[in-house]
Amino acid sequence: MTRISVNLVPMLVVAVIALALYWPLMYLANIPAAQRALDTGAALPCKTAVECATQLRSPVLPSPEQLWRGFGNLMFPLYSPNAISINAAVTALETIVGLLLAAIVGFFFAIGIVASRAFERSLLPWIVASQTVPIIAIAPMLVVLLGQYGVQGWIPKAIIAAYIAFFPIAIGVAKGLRSPDPLSLDLMKTYNASHWQTYLKLRFPASVPYLFTAFKVAMAAALIGAIVAEISTISFHGIGKMLAENSRASDVVAMWVIMISSAVLGILLVALVNWVERLATPWRRAKPANKPVVGKPGMPQKRGVG
Amino acid sequence: MMQSDTPHIQTPQSNPKASPIVSAQNLSMVFQTGTVALKDANLEIAQGEFISLIGPSGCGKTTLLRLLADLIKPTAGTIQIGGKNPEEARKSRAYGYIFQAPTLMEWRTVFANVMLPLEVMNFPQAERKARAEKMLALVGLEKFAKNYPWQLSGGMQQRVSIARALAFDPQLLFMDEPFGALDEITRENLNLELLRLWRETGKTIIFVTHSIPEAVFLSTRIVVMTPRPGKIETVIPVNLPQPRTFDTRETAEFFSIATDVREALRKGHGYEVTE
Repeated sequence: MTRISVNLVPMLVVAVIALALYWPLMYLANIPAAQRALDTGAALPCKTAVECATQLRSPVLPSPEQLWRGFGNLMFPLYSPNAISINAAVTALETIVGLLLAAIVGFFFAIGIVASRAFERSLLPWIVASQTVPIIAIAPMLVVLLGQYGVQGWIPKAIIAAYIAFFPIAIGVAKGLRSPDPLSLDLMKTYNASHWQTYLKLRFPASVPYLFTAFKVAMAAALIGAIVAEISTISFHGIGKMLAENSRASDVVAMWVIMISSAVLGILLVALVNWVERLATPWRRAKPANKPVVGKPGMPQKRGVG
Repeated sequence: MMQSDTPHIQTPQSNPKASPIVSAQNLSMVFQTGTVALKDANLEIAQGEFISLIGPSGCGKTTLLRLLADLIKPTAGTIQIGGKNPEEARKSRAYGYIFQAPTLMEWRTVFANVMLPLEVMNFPQAERKARAEKMLALVGLEKFAKNYPWQLSGGMQQRVSIARALAFDPQLLFMDEPFGALDEITRENLNLELLRLWRETGKTIIFVTHSIPEAVFLSTRIVVMTPRPGKIETVIPVNLPQPRTFDTRETAEFFSIATDVREALRKGHGYEVTE
């Protein structure tokens, strides 16, 4: 618990500063629009441009009160198909399934890259090329293609999320598999370890920290992939579907609320990776009970070599 | 795959001179860059000896050790390890190798690190644990079994790596400057401990070092090597009485042998600085 509050305080400080900067910016952006609305005689419950700046129906930048109210409107009722909660859950599901898919595919690519120069030389340029195709262009086509085979609903979005998430994972894991130093590889050789044993006992465990670093990058990419896929295809659920709907309805406040919500979702998903990382790499955890031990008498302390 | 029994090198204990555990003839190593790392090295080592290879950087001492361990192949010459060629010896797990760095796996506890070779060699589960416990006790680290390597000092980490090398009970230990990165005080402590292990286990040890006092203190014979090209200058026997203690370093014989080693290094231009 103490760890969370330690992280939360600096985060909140930044939030307060951002809000303090946002306020004048919001007035600056909205006053001309409010003046124009007053000039055209629109029915507004306010008299002056400054007053109206926070109450425009389609503000340039929504005021914090408008965001707050918009958030309330989009959050409840919790299980309504138009509520953020249920749509965020669907997007999160697509993102996580996409990440897991990407992990499986990325892992095999990483092994291929490390094990075979030919594999790396022949396939890596194509993998890089695949990543430069705009996801917004490829998403509808993938959905049509998958639809031919009866794959519909959230699964195509997960696949599109996986499509952009697998690249950082493949590269990260490949780097991790190559991370053992030459001496450790020599050590395995002196044990007459097989290739498989060298992977199992040395290369795989050594790549775990790299895997989680890649997961954090890939999680953010997968979330964007899932949202873009929802926007650019026919969707009935998801953050992307809400963005598309509210964009069509020109609801600026709702758009901002949804954007902020998807940012929060991104933070939560990356926090999830952090949490799993802590569970999976106990040796990197400096628990208070596991403080560096004191050497025996006559055995002076010295930190590890290299 | 290995069976549960450990590979032993059968060398008659009674007459070690007759069949050396390590024998190298006319050994040369030229790297692809053209560097002559080792030229015409001849060396015979009997069972139970403690041999130091000493010399400045670039004299081929690590190269010689890596050749014996089959980590690299010689360009000329022959090697026999307990009657086998180095590759056969490596495949039958005839030796343990201790590197300059402890090369412990950071994700494994101290105990699991010692068990690593036993896992690779498919020892039965129960025997792995029993051996790892015994080896940690031998190096005096049984209390740290559950710790991770980063929680240990450099000297303790190197002791874990020694326990790991001893775990599968090879008759031969190759040590490549194992204490080179440690401070003088830790190093002298570990030297004493290594001598105790050597006496208790009866292993044959080949030990690479830059330190003249370390070589004199530990060895039964010192192989003095000199650079450009890397070659064996001379072999100096060390007849200091066993068991050796801290006081051994203060004796006149100790200084006299150290002087011999220094002279041999100077004769082979081991003191010239050209790098």
